Amino acid sequence: MNPSADTKLLVIIPAYNEEESLARVVAGVQAAVPRADVVVINDGSRDRTPLIAEHSGATVVSLPYNLGIGAAMQTGFMLARARDYQVVVQVDGDGQHDPREIPVLVERLLAGQADVVVGSRYLENRGYITPWLRMLGIRILAGYLSVVSGQRFSDTTSGFRASNRHALESCAQNYPADYPEPESLLAFRKMGLRVVEVAVSMNKRYGGKSSITPFRSAYYMIKVILAVTILLLRRAPRRAESPYVN
Amino acid sequence: MLTDRLTLFVSVAAFGLLLLVLEMVRRRALAEKYSLLWLLMAGAILMLAVARPALDRIAPVLGIYYAPSALFVVGFVGLLVILLYFSAVITRLTRQNRIVAQQIGILQVRIEALEKSLVQSRDEE
Repeated sequence: MNPSADTKLLVIIPAYNEEESLARVVAGVQAAVPRADVVVINDGSRDRTPLIAEHSGATVVSLPYNLGIGAAMQTGFMLARARDYQVVVQVDGDGQHDPREIPVLVERLLAGQADVVVGSRYLENRGYITPWLRMLGIRILAGYLSVVSGQRFSDTTSGFRASNRHALESCAQNYPADYPEPESLLAFRKMGLRVVEVAVSMNKRYGGKSSITPFRSAYYMIKVILAVTILLLRRAPRRAESPYVN
Repeated sequence: MLTDRLTLFVSVAAFGLLLLVLEMVRRRALAEKYSLLWLLMAGAILMLAVARPALDRIAPVLGIYYAPSALFVVGFVGLLVILLYFSAVITRLTRQNRIVAQQIGILQVRIEALEKSLVQSRDEE
């Protein structure tokens, strides 16, 4: 990380009811990238998430009620834009992402030829086990997105990402409010931003409950496919401008 | 005019709706902007119900043999338009609401930082 020691780096951790895992995630991030600032976006949690975030030493942005992970992330991007950060890394609050791999993402980003770097579970087989039905959903999404975006993606639902100034500015301006990950990949491509995947390992979540249920998964698939299709029908935006309407 | 019970009933109902909407606007329970579509629909139904010859001419064009049921078609289409319009309004409100919440979160952090630096500079004096 030495060549980039002067890059202003912000790690955004969106958290909704993550009291069991958040302290470990923040500590992990602080240990892995000591020079980074850490902001926790408390997305209207009803548990002790905001308290734990304060105690961890991170900056805490508390949203007055639950807005959804996309809107929470957008809040982080807005803060990053206002405070002139050059690089933003998103790490989920549930402990799925290994903070020790943040430098891998950031180094790849700073190496150039990429505006967004996505940590992928499936680029290499590193023993991450996915239930078969979810795997099917993930394959369908990845296939569809690869076809419409003209770039091969292996892990479209990964929220473990690093973005440079171009990408974070566009995300601050506009970002899908819920289930943003697959949709934003196509948005980046349409804006001419370069997206690169790197292989990472992902853990089981440290604690708390996953938000995934069969009904939600079905809704997720339908919502994302609709959103991607509609995004496809929108006029291609210029680089600075976002394809969504804010 | 008003040759059958159905058109009579529909006229009374449409007239009642018209009055209700106007009264709600007068009491500021309904914004003028959102009352327009309701007034338009109630007015159209009322006029068609009262002016039976017009209805008798329009209904066959729509393939409706019992003319008064054309009133329901008009009402149904009017309701669909109103509902769709309101879905669009909700979408806009949700977006504005989201932006307000985001700005509150960011402002809070900025205020806390300001307060901290204020206390610090006071301690240094």
